[in-house]
Amino acid sequence: MQLRTLSIHSGFLPIIIFLLFLNRNKENKLWVIFLYVALSLVTDYSYDIINHITGDEKKTNFYVSSCFTIIEFTLCTLFIFYNINARSLKNIVLICSGLFFPVSVFNLFQKGIADFDSLTASVECILIIFFSILFLYDQIREPELVFIYTSKKFWIIVAVLLYLSSTLFLFMYAAEFTKREKNYYWSINFTFNILKNLLFAVAFLLKKDSLLKRSFMKNEYNF
Amino acid sequence: MFFGTIGMLTLAVGLIVFIIFHQRKVIRYQGTLQRMEQDQQRMLLNASIRLQEEERQRLAADLHDDAGPLLATARLYLNENLVNMDKASQLQSIYNAKQIIDDTIQLIRNISHSLMPPTLKNFGLESAVNDLFQKISGSGSLNASCRFHDYKERLKTEDELILFRVLQELVNNILKHSNASFIHVTQNINGDRFFLRLHHDGRGLTQADFEKLNKSPVGLGLKNIQSRLKLLSGNIYFEKDISQTYYKVTIELSKEEVL
Repeated sequence: MQLRTLSIHSGFLPIIIFLLFLNRNKENKLWVIFLYVALSLVTDYSYDIINHITGDEKKTNFYVSSCFTIIEFTLCTLFIFYNINARSLKNIVLICSGLFFPVSVFNLFQKGIADFDSLTASVECILIIFFSILFLYDQIREPELVFIYTSKKFWIIVAVLLYLSSTLFLFMYAAEFTKREKNYYWSINFTFNILKNLLFAVAFLLKKDSLLKRSFMKNEYNF
Repeated sequence: MFFGTIGMLTLAVGLIVFIIFHQRKVIRYQGTLQRMEQDQQRMLLNASIRLQEEERQRLAADLHDDAGPLLATARLYLNENLVNMDKASQLQSIYNAKQIIDDTIQLIRNISHSLMPPTLKNFGLESAVNDLFQKISGSGSLNASCRFHDYKERLKTEDELILFRVLQELVNNILKHSNASFIHVTQNINGDRFFLRLHHDGRGLTQADFEKLNKSPVGLGLKNIQSRLKLLSGNIYFEKDISQTYYKVTIELSKEEVL
């Protein structure tokens, strides 16, 4: 229970850092991630509120988590799409995303109500992991002058990749968990959600990519 | 499920670590390449400065050792005692001084021509190369000839001078080191590329030899060739002909750059 609370509240950290260092985070791409963190926080809080209003925990969990999965996929894909340079890789992202939306919406209305929409969440995990690998491949294909770990986008991708890699199997089996099992295993989700938020905070703390590039060129190559 | 999660995490962490190390390696490699390029450019700059200094020293020596004594001798003939001499001696002194001044004029003209050949200035690269080759052939030591196929309009004057100096350096090298019996230069334009090709049947260089000499502190002339061609964004290739009987040097330039 404490871990859950910590996980939910950890969402405040990247939001506060983003707003405190707004000058470093003015890029549109970073606003996408800010929106994602904010929505994630709102979703976490809304579970209890909607449950209280509707009184149907199962239904609430299913619809809220399914809708959030679609939003999460959209925002993460948008961020990766903006950060990939190669046209061909962008096309792959577009095509895969085009396949995801009909499947997830169809699944939302066709399947009977379960505690968790495993299929949509698993497909989302697999696709975002795949897109993250495409992003990293794009980065090593055309290496920039600065070290990759000094850029904001790298830490954001690492956060997303680690979170989704660790929760993929959890989401796959989530629909079949008993309540006790879910309480037990969901700690994985909470732990890596905290890690994800910490890594987002690190990304928002870093200097602007363009500034880094300039100082790197000045120091390393003395141009 | 736990094993799956641990497996996925390991894969993700492994991938991230691999990307970081790979990128560090690539950046270090790029840095090394950049430093090598800077060193190469520094060497070319040094070579061109040294050549400039040598040229100045040669000019200073020509003026000091040849023109200086000639003018000093002429001054001796035209000293104050000249007015006290008899008429015949005066005429003789004036005649001698005139001869010496003529020699000095010729000497200064030669120096000036070596700086900027008048044929090149007035009639262009083809005539200047022809002129140079006639002088070489005239010596009887080897046969030099040239053929310009696509030279209807002259190149920019400064580019012609650079190309002429490059050709002069190449020909000098052949005369000094190759023991060749002929030199033949051809010029043509292919698409948007301007080509000058030089063939000779002596001992020559291959591209590997050229690059090796270019990176070593020796081979000042070759570095000078490269730094001159860099000004024209041109390339030079040294190769042995397929028939293995003669060497070929190709200078390749962009037509737009020189015309």
